[in-house]
Amino acid sequence: MSEELRTSPIETRGLAGKKRYAMVVDTRRCIGCMACQVACKAEYDTPLGVNRTWVPYKVVGTYPNVKKHFLPRLCNHCDDPPCVRACPVEATYKVEDGGFVLQRYERCIGCRSCMAACPYNARFMLPAHRTYTAITSVVDKCTFCFHRVTQGLVPACVQTCIGRSRVFGDINDPTSEVSYLVATNATQVLRPEQGTKPHVFYIAGDRSQMEFGRDAYQRREVMDQERRMFERNFKA
Amino acid sequence: MSDTKFTRRTFLKVSAGTTAAAAAAPRLLQAMENELGGKDVNPVTLAERKAIPINCHVCNIQDGAIAFVENGRVVKLEGNPEHVSTRGRLCAKGNSGMWYSYDPDRILYPLKRVGARGEGKWKRITWDEALAEVAKKLDAALKEDPNTIMMKYGRNRTGGTLDRFMKTLGSATVVNHTSVCESSKKIGMEPTWGPDIETPDFANTKYVLNIGSNILEAAYFHNPLSQRITEGRVDNQMKIVTFDVRLSNTAGFSDEWIPVFPGTDGAVALALGHVILREDLQDSEFINTWTNVTVDELKAHYKDFTPEWAAKISGVPAATIERIAREFALAKPATLFTYRGPAKHLYGSYNEKACMMLPIMTGNIETRGGYCLPRGMGWPQPGPTPPGAKHASYLSTPPDYPLAGHKVSHLVPFWIAEGKQKINVYFTYQDNAVYTNPGAQAVWGKLFRDEKLLPYIVSMSSHMGEETALADIILPDCPYLERWEPESMPNSLWPWLGIRQPVHASLGESRENRILLRDLVHKLDPDGKRGMKQYWNFKDAEDYMRQHFDNVPGLKEAGGLDFLKKHGVWPIYGKLDPKTGKVTDKTGREIKAEYGLHKKELGTADMAGAVVDKSGVISKNGKAIGIKRNGRNYAGFPTGNRLINVRVDEWAQYGFNPMPTFKRIPWHETMKEDEMILTTFKLNVHKQSRTAAVKWLAEIAHSNPAWINAQTAKRLGVKTGDLVRVESKVGHLVTKAYVTEGIQPKVIAIATAFGHWEYGRLASLRLKDKPAFGGQEDPDLNNVWWDDKGVHPNAIIPVVADPIGGSQGWMDTVVKVTRAGPNDKYGDIQGNWEKHVEAYKETMRYAYTGDMHRKMHPEMASWAGPASVKPKSGGGGH
Repeated sequence: MSEELRTSPIETRGLAGKKRYAMVVDTRRCIGCMACQVACKAEYDTPLGVNRTWVPYKVVGTYPNVKKHFLPRLCNHCDDPPCVRACPVEATYKVEDGGFVLQRYERCIGCRSCMAACPYNARFMLPAHRTYTAITSVVDKCTFCFHRVTQGLVPACVQTCIGRSRVFGDINDPTSEVSYLVATNATQVLRPEQGTKPHVFYIAGDRSQMEFGRDAYQRREVMDQERRMFERNFKA
Repeated sequence: MSDTKFTRRTFLKVSAGTTAAAAAAPRLLQAMENELGGKDVNPVTLAERKAIPINCHVCNIQDGAIAFVENGRVVKLEGNPEHVSTRGRLCAKGNSGMWYSYDPDRILYPLKRVGARGEGKWKRITWDEALAEVAKKLDAALKEDPNTIMMKYGRNRTGGTLDRFMKTLGSATVVNHTSVCESSKKIGMEPTWGPDIETPDFANTKYVLNIGSNILEAAYFHNPLSQRITEGRVDNQMKIVTFDVRLSNTAGFSDEWIPVFPGTDGAVALALGHVILREDLQDSEFINTWTNVTVDELKAHYKDFTPEWAAKISGVPAATIERIAREFALAKPATLFTYRGPAKHLYGSYNEKACMMLPIMTGNIETRGGYCLPRGMGWPQPGPTPPGAKHASYLSTPPDYPLAGHKVSHLVPFWIAEGKQKINVYFTYQDNAVYTNPGAQAVWGKLFRDEKLLPYIVSMSSHMGEETALADIILPDCPYLERWEPESMPNSLWPWLGIRQPVHASLGESRENRILLRDLVHKLDPDGKRGMKQYWNFKDAEDYMRQHFDNVPGLKEAGGLDFLKKHGVWPIYGKLDPKTGKVTDKTGREIKAEYGLHKKELGTADMAGAVVDKSGVISKNGKAIGIKRNGRNYAGFPTGNRLINVRVDEWAQYGFNPMPTFKRIPWHETMKEDEMILTTFKLNVHKQSRTAAVKWLAEIAHSNPAWINAQTAKRLGVKTGDLVRVESKVGHLVTKAYVTEGIQPKVIAIATAFGHWEYGRLASLRLKDKPAFGGQEDPDLNNVWWDDKGVHPNAIIPVVADPIGGSQGWMDTVVKVTRAGPNDKYGDIQGNWEKHVEAYKETMRYAYTGDMHRKMHPEMASWAGPASVKPKSGGGGH
């Protein structure tokens, strides 16, 4: 780990005395139940129309040889996050101890530069209406559940993961479960060619959902209809 | 763990930049993994949220849960980490259960109908007025005949309150919903080995045959069993093979998906058994010791069920059947799971029985990694208990279905219309037959609008569902987060007792069911002179729970109800290990389940005064308590003879084949080239009818285009999104197509839970309206971005009743699918009452009293006919 090329001064992977949180998503264990997505919605009072984590799927093959693959998605909490570089007002920043990429809502001017810079579509603009939280009309994203993790808890999506597909921990600690999984399995990350050093590692992710950069997230026809509906009706 | 208390100020300091964060953040370095749950904090203020242990009840899996409360409101739900089955995790539905309570369209005070039935005109009344009016109607009905008071419930987890109410009134007219749910699975299993469900030990198995269950999305017991399936696959290298007509998430997850023609799973199962027996791969010792047949009898019986025979019927190649049979028989341990696939057909009970034979003949019963008996726990009822009805009810024990111990509720509208039983007062509780049953609005809607057939309808409901919208009076019940209820469910290999307790006071004027029923009884019998009040002798709902739980051995010593209030569940088997997600004992090792329940030996006290008959059955006081085998006295299986009854003699009395068999659905054999089978299914984020108003779930899935195979779609000339017309013998609908490789080419599949015309503004997409019954608006509903609510298929699905198990044949409907015509509009649905009545008459011909029964059972030619069986009122309420 430490021998990896360090390209950014804020990288904390392998830094002595520092935590570096990471998530391992073992897709062999993902049943596509959507519990993570809903638990996250509840944890943050996330409004309809936007998500901090989501679970796209793809049906591959031709009848009768057909499989269904899920690829849980969230912010990759990159070690070299393009969103941080793109933010003109330093609303987006990285926490050195832990590696969280966070957002300061009071500084965000809503310019969406970070959204454009993120190669993972992990950021979104909050709409004007929420159930009980006052923060609206600024950019929001997954925080790796900073508030829970710093209290000794796993993120909400990991907490509820039925298949235990999502595992969270300190990858700088060689005795942690995430270190064990990354060491003993073939893992992949999304869009490695972007040089972002993502910290969400996938085990057995399907090629049809992972490769070709952005095209990998192309949605099926029904989702196209959904997107047209979304564009027609959602006012953010 | 760090003791550092977070205040808003320290939090702001933490987020003020990387250097500041490093300085002010609590020490992050810990040798241990982060905890998997049990507490929660607000992401903005870091205030710790109050944790109240409860039992989830969005669906009926009954996971242990924790409700986190902030500012008097539940903001988060998590699995209870102390719960041995749930292990801290909840599904998408469980995570969003607070929206039952906070739904802006919840009914928060009693309502009385003022317009015509279903016109939607309501008047707010007081509880006193409401109870007085219902009591008056009950009084009049009681004078005529208590059985004219009917209770039909959907999901009843009151722990006996509804039964107590009906027994207090002296009515036997209690009808459940099980025949549209899983009844033929239960009836396939119960006479064979006792209980109505199995507990496959997925975590420790090497091979899973999953026949027609979508366990990773729905079915008993979705969350706990899904956890063990992923564990088995990755930690134990098991193989899972799924037979299904459709690529469900379970089929898509499986190592192999094997598509079958609907209703032919039973034939495949018999052929698998044939190969196992033909190649001598069975467990002969198990069969000869623990069943009521011998290996030789079984081999002779299975002789004709060849893979070639099954291949022709099911479309599964014979070579595949042979390969799977060998894999299953040689993998030890192996297990099996089934759900709606085999059971929801005309002869669903036969199908289930054929499937169940596979773990039996391979001796995978009650072994580690095998097919185990369910583990449950009970609790006593508060005394005194009411004596119950004097006369049987036709509707709850229909004489034409004597073996259907879980009733035949979906035929009830036709029986009421035929005048089989008069109803004066109809109570509905957590039910929505107008939406969920075959025929839906065309059948139950017609019944509910008919004031002659149902003169007075009382709905105990928190939501304006399709059925409640047709009621005369609505008593606002509480959603599960505001109720006290006892709970136990065999959803893992460890038995437990649990509790639901209110997370806060009931909202508005709503009252939980046991309280509103008590209030009603007190209204009927204010001074106790009628003898009713004595059975409703509790201070409040908590006191009722105390009477259930304070005297359960073991729990009593642990603290009784107080223990449950604090922990939500008893016993606590160990601690959840954050490194593995498994429950560990004091030594840090994973807890072990107990296996081989049938091999438990009877003690000397059990044997005192017991007699052993020729066949080895050990009886005491006229009841079989065990079975003598190889010189030992074993407990055996919970059946009448303590054995597994491969041959069910009771079935033969009614002219049914007592041995494992398969009957092809006659109208499937005569299908035309352009006809298809319509099947229905549930998605992972919805249950049958009560989740459409839950915004987070509706956002994920809000419409239900019809799944059509790509080749079929090509023949029809339709693409995804095109309109198709689906026509059955009772009606037609127009919906959108979803073209996929993941479905059998002769099948069109439409999910349930969509296309609501009631159930509040979100479900029916009438968001321009305002909350009408006292609820508080949710600003987030401004963000609803979808404008397609789907099309509900039930009006075009005719009734079919399994003559044995009573189950609805959901997957038996033959339809013609075409491109929609110029006059077809999306959402058109038409079901014809007269044609539904014809379908009802047709299905009654298959009952043991009907003319088709003999034709379908040539092998039972020696049966002396229905007159030979003494009329017997059907089974009780399991």
